[in-house]
Amino acid sequence: MSVLEAPRAKVPPKPRNPRTVVVGWIIAAVVVAVHVIAWRATDISFAALAEGWAGMADFLAEAIPPDLSPDLLLESAEASLVTLWIGLLGTTLSVPLSLILALLAARTISPAGWVYQVTRAILSFLRAVPDVVFALIFVTAVGLGPFPGVLALVAHNVGVMGKLWAETLEEADPGPATALRSAGAGRIQVAAHALLPSVLPQLVGLLLYRFDVNVRSSLVLGLVGAGGIGFLINQSIQLFQFDQMLTHILVVLVLIIAVDRLSAVVRRRLTPEAA
Amino acid sequence: MLRLADIVVHYGDREILHGVDVAVGRGELLAVLGANGSGKSTLLKAAAGLTPAARGSVTVDEKPRGIRDTALVFQKIHLVGRRSALDNVCAGALARLPLHKSLTPALFPRDVREEAMGCLERVGLANRAHDRAGSLSGGQQQRVAIARALCQRAPVVLADEPVSALDPAAAEQVLALLAQLAHAEGLAVLAVLHQPDLARRHADRIVGLRDGVVVLEGDPNQPVDVLYENREPEVATP
Repeated sequence: MSVLEAPRAKVPPKPRNPRTVVVGWIIAAVVVAVHVIAWRATDISFAALAEGWAGMADFLAEAIPPDLSPDLLLESAEASLVTLWIGLLGTTLSVPLSLILALLAARTISPAGWVYQVTRAILSFLRAVPDVVFALIFVTAVGLGPFPGVLALVAHNVGVMGKLWAETLEEADPGPATALRSAGAGRIQVAAHALLPSVLPQLVGLLLYRFDVNVRSSLVLGLVGAGGIGFLINQSIQLFQFDQMLTHILVVLVLIIAVDRLSAVVRRRLTPEAA
Repeated sequence: MLRLADIVVHYGDREILHGVDVAVGRGELLAVLGANGSGKSTLLKAAAGLTPAARGSVTVDEKPRGIRDTALVFQKIHLVGRRSALDNVCAGALARLPLHKSLTPALFPRDVREEAMGCLERVGLANRAHDRAGSLSGGQQQRVAIARALCQRAPVVLADEPVSALDPAAAEQVLALLAQLAHAEGLAVLAVLHQPDLARRHADRIVGLRDGVVVLEGDPNQPVDVLYENREPEVATP
């Protein structure tokens, strides 16, 4: 079979801006430099890792086989459910405030420049304070247990989800909003009838992603007294019951995989609608 | 009805429209023709209040144009694809609804939903009321957008290249619908078009713009070559 060869044309040299090349080299040098500084500052030592290998092996030998007694499995499952509930409420209870702040922090809909700046600052603050720190603060306020864990997740999650949602709103197709504005609709009406419905699948996708993250975070919060399976893991480490610790970790693994699968299924179902 | 008098519009230092006068009467479809860059979309934006005019006036029934006097139909249609056709049409009524009756489509009062349904009937899409707007064809979506404009109850409809993204058959349907709405319901319709043949078939009158100046006006069957000949080719700017 013959193939008709298309006529060729000389490819002109790609124009290169010397300034762009220099800037590229400077960026590369800075990236390398910060990695060298980070390497030194974190005391990375492969020798220490090799020397400590035996200790890790002893630790694992004590943990294996896990304690699979029914009572422990039941206790572990109950605590895992508490962890799940902390993650769930930490996510859903943050929705109203996240939504309000996201609308105020989206440049395309924020009523004024100063409102945008103040809201962004609030979101940055809530994101900058780790959920563990929030948990310690709330533990001192309301005592040990799952409740301070929920409060901590809500506080941190508002910062993260508010920012993610604000950026999603900013990227929404401006067309329907322009159409409704030109028809005399107010700012809130435009948000409710043009922006939010346009990006709803993305907002729900981000919500599920945060639920996934929050369930894992609530595990860590348990380590500082906020209840759930993290609390049991911490307890078994302190009592040197590493076989029980491994049991709790395996139960957590099942929980995390289940949450991950569930949110992946929901996100996949939402994706065609986003198109 | 709609009158644009002595409209001058600047983009930065450039004057785009140089004192344009255009009037559209009740029950009339006026097509604005011109090559790219002639200022026809700018004229429509000035009529809609989306672009401020440095000079001149826009009046409806001899009063300064209010936001509820004009309804826009866009080239890119701008419906919310995830919402039903009916909900999109109801959104045309937002300006006259209090917030507590308009936060979600479920709160729209019955009379608004019935009026929106009536608008969908007028554009021939009553049977698609509950279909998602995104599932409709381009021509059907543009008809839904026209129904949304009708639901605004504005006496003037401004259509910015409403058929540029449509196939020829859909373009004919949409232009015929705009003409019918003008003639049967007494609306003043100003449509910016790129297709002189469509204007010939559906418009009552044409206005031809070249370099921001009206160079022809009147009978849609008159030659329009003067709008397009001897123009410098468009060059992409880096």
